[in-house]
Amino acid sequence: MSVSTDFGKEVLARALGRGVDEAVVRLQERVYEFIVFDSGVLRSYSVSRVVGLGVGVFVKGFAGYAYTSMLSREGVEQAVDRAVKLAKGLSVSGKAVRLASVEGSKTVFRVAYSQNPLDVDPSEKASLVRDLNKIAMGVEGVVSAVTRLACEVDRRVVVSSLGAEAFSEVVAVGVSNLSVARFGEVMERVHDQKTFIGGYENVKSFDWSSFVEDISRLAVKASQARVPPPGTYRAVIDNQLIGLMLHEAFGHASEGDYVMYKSSVLCGRLGTKVASDLVAIIDDGLAEGGYPVAFDDEGVAKRRVTVVEDGVLKGFLTNRQASHELGVEASGNARAQDITYKPIVRQTNFYMAPRDVRVEELFEGVSEGIYLRGRGAMGGQVDIAMGTFTFSAGPSYMIRRGEPAELVRGVVVSGNILETLMNVELVARDLMITTSVFGGCGKDGQMVRVGDGGPHIRVSRIVVGGG
Amino acid sequence: MDIWALVERGVRRAEALGATEAEVYAVREETLTVRGNVRGVESIEGGETVHVYMRIAVGKRFSVQGGLVSRAEDVDSIAESAVKIARLSPEDPNWVSLPKRLGSTPVFDVVDSAVKSLEPERFVDIVKRALEMPRELDRRAFATEALASAAVIAKAIGNSYQPPVSCELTSFSFSVDVKAVEGGFESGFYSYYSAPTLKEFRLENIVVYTTRIAVDTLKAKRVETGTYKVLLMPRVFSSILGTLLVPAVRADVVQKKRSPLAGKLFSQVLSEQLTVIDDGAVPNMPGSAPFDDEGVATRRKAVFDKGILRTYLYDTYTANIDNRESTGNARRVGASNTYPDATNILVLPGTSPLDSLVKDMGRGIVVHGTIGEWLSNPVSGYLNATVTHGFLVEGGEVKQAVKGVVVAGDAYKLLKEGLVALSKEFEAIGNFMTPAALLQGVSVAGE
Repeated sequence: MSVSTDFGKEVLARALGRGVDEAVVRLQERVYEFIVFDSGVLRSYSVSRVVGLGVGVFVKGFAGYAYTSMLSREGVEQAVDRAVKLAKGLSVSGKAVRLASVEGSKTVFRVAYSQNPLDVDPSEKASLVRDLNKIAMGVEGVVSAVTRLACEVDRRVVVSSLGAEAFSEVVAVGVSNLSVARFGEVMERVHDQKTFIGGYENVKSFDWSSFVEDISRLAVKASQARVPPPGTYRAVIDNQLIGLMLHEAFGHASEGDYVMYKSSVLCGRLGTKVASDLVAIIDDGLAEGGYPVAFDDEGVAKRRVTVVEDGVLKGFLTNRQASHELGVEASGNARAQDITYKPIVRQTNFYMAPRDVRVEELFEGVSEGIYLRGRGAMGGQVDIAMGTFTFSAGPSYMIRRGEPAELVRGVVVSGNILETLMNVELVARDLMITTSVFGGCGKDGQMVRVGDGGPHIRVSRIVVGGG
Repeated sequence: MDIWALVERGVRRAEALGATEAEVYAVREETLTVRGNVRGVESIEGGETVHVYMRIAVGKRFSVQGGLVSRAEDVDSIAESAVKIARLSPEDPNWVSLPKRLGSTPVFDVVDSAVKSLEPERFVDIVKRALEMPRELDRRAFATEALASAAVIAKAIGNSYQPPVSCELTSFSFSVDVKAVEGGFESGFYSYYSAPTLKEFRLENIVVYTTRIAVDTLKAKRVETGTYKVLLMPRVFSSILGTLLVPAVRADVVQKKRSPLAGKLFSQVLSEQLTVIDDGAVPNMPGSAPFDDEGVATRRKAVFDKGILRTYLYDTYTANIDNRESTGNARRVGASNTYPDATNILVLPGTSPLDSLVKDMGRGIVVHGTIGEWLSNPVSGYLNATVTHGFLVEGGEVKQAVKGVVVAGDAYKLLKEGLVALSKEFEAIGNFMTPAALLQGVSVAGE
């Protein structure tokens, strides 16, 4: 049995034949190829597969979800039975849910590519990673390097009783590199990746040698840099880091399930000022540079959402339930890592909109500050109930007399997202959005691919931890 | 599908295709998850999957493949693809062999019949009670989310040298989020619990603690930038150890020169007060199993004995490089090669009661919650964590709740010269069992 809308419709008919009020059937087949060279040695050449189906049913408003990797007639039957049983069981002591009634998406979305990365000769791919790893290791001062190539083909089908008959195929390729440099007793690492949505032709046309060499050189420089004195600074934040910060600290808070369950700092703030007038924030499933999401895992078309406009909170990201509960239009943001998970509200490509200032203008007039860079950043975490965030920036620069000055390492920033967005003083014009085939966003134990980004911005104060 | 049969089928098929060594790891998992929120229990989900992963060597060339399987024949196609890719891969000069000795260590309390039943009612009741309790305890508090999940896991591993070993485990996890609101102030706190059985699960204790911290940190604010004594409560201490200490004792990290503990075997790395044990066979802990992820029997070993680094953690691949035996610490995540990782980490407790540590610490911060400690740098050993839930203490008295400050410092200095004391009380947090740790000379970035 294959991942097709016809098979999905067959399973949907079985579920509806069991007397359920509504049903959503998801089928998936994902192949992920991953090659790792670690300090000159092939550490992994792996291929992993996800194949299976998930069935969500609603019986008098009670929801049940079941999945299986076994696509035999018996396996499918058991999954449908389990979903119905769980929904009926919940009717004894659970709560019924109400969902926005949204017409299902009838979409066929395919990423254009000329060479399927999974069809490329394995030895060609392994040789590329080996050669890049050698280049990364060849920079003086680098003691260790890990270079990875990832190729992914993800096919998803969603068929629902609200008319969804949607198919998507997303192909992605990318290279990542981690270089570790030592200077005396100090060891520092820098990691970066670049991902293309499309086929292996993108790998062939990019200058990966310079990409990995730059990472190694930055690691060497960072190992010789000092840690910034802890304290509060005026800061210029680059495209990569603002994307990461917005995703973690504001994007999650704008997810409708958190708002609906009163666990978000944005709960009750719709229509109010949450950021400086200069700030506009968007979630767009098909933003250039991001990870394409044409429809969500409930079968709802993904709609471009303006979350913040001129500093005012205008919208939330929703699944069908949050759409109903919050009284806002369904945005098509119900996403699941794979069929073993029920879809929950997730971001797609979440970014700050650009304005018209040149990047150089952001540094003007800053007598002492910090230029926070995303390259080599390790990520961040946020307490969405309070809006507290913390992020590790990559190697960054102090700002002195209006210009980037010496490099600093080990930079961790911390603050409250609403205060920080209120402190945005300038927003540049250089929008950049990126995604990654090596990771994504985690929530409730699920990882989904996302994109994020924005322009360079300047904030009047941010707490920097250091030594 | 019989997972034992899948293992034998995969090994035979790969060998017939020309693999010089083949290993098959098969897992059947059946799960149930109940989620509740401010409105009640709205969601229940479950399912059943079979995963098969194969590690294939053709001489010193190898590949790893696998994932979810729909039918027994899928194992044949995984074997075919794995052998094909292994033949085309470059040689790994470090490759010696798959493990030649598989085994099982007796482990107790890793299967619970109540968990195994996957009866929804039991887990719905747990979630409902967790949602009701905070409001009963304090009118300013309410639960925003609670979750209970249960799983039954059957594993089998075999290779070209040994027939399969197999086991059955259960897994229970619970979490609760509590929010507190009063006069324009808001706070929230989160707790979780994870173990193979329900034997030591105390719902009330967890919810009471979570509610108390949420309420008591309602008016939290920053403190001045400076150097403080900091008392890390067990959950915070274990998280920091997991981020900084565990990666540094992984043999693969050491061999690739990414560990600050490379070359420090048998030297005094931590305070004499710290004895850290890795034990894959502790009763009722989530990292316990009879064997590791390549079928080698798990065992107990002191990693730091009174602060002296005694061993790194090995799987077979890294053990072969250092010409030693695996320590039974192989881990695999999906279709990955194995790597060594901690099973359960036990830190032996100290002798000071927690109350007296707080009373005698002078001016300092008691830290119950942090975020971002996982962003600390295991390569340099540099700690950075943002305090979300803390209390400033002066002369044994709580002066204010603290949030939004960054604690930082060289973790090895802090855990050697900076460690003042460990509490005699300890707590199991996931696969860690640790006391609280009082540190001095910690840099705090605040106002």
